[in-house]
Amino acid sequence: MYREIILPAVRTRLNFAGAVSRGGVVRPARRFPWLLAGLLTLVSTAASAHGFQELPDLSGNWIRGDFAGLGRSNQPLDRAMLTVEGQRGMDAYDFLTDDPAYECVPASWTRVWSNPNVVVQIDQSDRDVRLRYEWMDIDRRIPLTDPSDADAERVQMDGIPTLGRSMAWYDGDTLVIDTVDYAPGYVSTIADLAGLPQSRTMHTVERIRREGEGLVIEITHLDPTVLRRPFVMAISYAPTDFELLDYGCSPEYARIVAPDD
Amino acid sequence: MSLPKHAILAMLPSLMLTLAAPAHHSVAVNFDQSGEITIEGVLTEMSWRNPHSHFRIDVAAGDGSQLEWLVEMGAINTMRRAGFEVELFVPGENVSITGWPGWRDRTLYLNSAILQDGTELICAGASCNPER
Repeated sequence: MYREIILPAVRTRLNFAGAVSRGGVVRPARRFPWLLAGLLTLVSTAASAHGFQELPDLSGNWIRGDFAGLGRSNQPLDRAMLTVEGQRGMDAYDFLTDDPAYECVPASWTRVWSNPNVVVQIDQSDRDVRLRYEWMDIDRRIPLTDPSDADAERVQMDGIPTLGRSMAWYDGDTLVIDTVDYAPGYVSTIADLAGLPQSRTMHTVERIRREGEGLVIEITHLDPTVLRRPFVMAISYAPTDFELLDYGCSPEYARIVAPDD
Repeated sequence: MSLPKHAILAMLPSLMLTLAAPAHHSVAVNFDQSGEITIEGVLTEMSWRNPHSHFRIDVAAGDGSQLEWLVEMGAINTMRRAGFEVELFVPGENVSITGWPGWRDRTLYLNSAILQDGTELICAGASCNPER
């Protein structure tokens, strides 16, 4: 990825120097090595000033990795970290009726990342990052932005307000996705976290990085309406040769959870 | 219990693929995993889909009437990746299903099945452990 971003700029300068050399009169790289070194330094400095950096290679097909013994399980929820409203919301959750998945709607990004057995495909470019989740056929493309820019562009998933508005950037070896403006929903509908509320004040930070051959997705939840302190969970993914498949969730069938009377 | 060779071959890819559960609505939340029950009846409908595949089975009640049960399984994407042979199930044939009872009445999450010809399939949904 570093080569894709930095080298074209370097190559432009070298080609310029090469054109002089091809004339057979001057060989600046040989006669003036300081000139070449200076150009490289200049290019490197300019690239750095424009925010170019070596990107971690996160691209590929991935599948949730806990099953392979690769990683960590969901952290248990300490109910003491819930506000009164958070506890009330969690107690009121009725899995028989409230899971948005019955309508093929993802409850939150944490819920999306938590789904096992489905492929997540990541493609990186110097302009954006695209994450395609097999579960519910979610196609998430986020332009890279400068996190210090107060007017940085955020994108939302059409028709899925429970997934908020996101912006992304790289922090060293980590892809960071920052999301706000969530519609009320649930952080999770799975196991011990089922019914953990997500309010309009929810703010999540997904930090995605390589760990060995796999990926770790660490999600920090900050929601003063529901949580007394940040709730952090980590989900591991393993590389996979499986291709991304269409999911084709249909509410007509997703709602079938009981026999006909 | 000895298994037919066909059954062993059918279950191997499933066991190799994953030990995690499918998740659309949460299996851990919707089914009681503290114990298994077995039902026997006639397979009346199959639906191989995402996020869950399912069967409908008519089970004879004590008074001679038939009660329909809904049996849930994994997502068809997962089952295909596991090489699971969905064609082994035939509507109209008898089948015995063992699995976790659901909190909803007459629901079951499939852990194993014995077909009319005696073939046994274990973890047929390609994933039979709870989400973690």
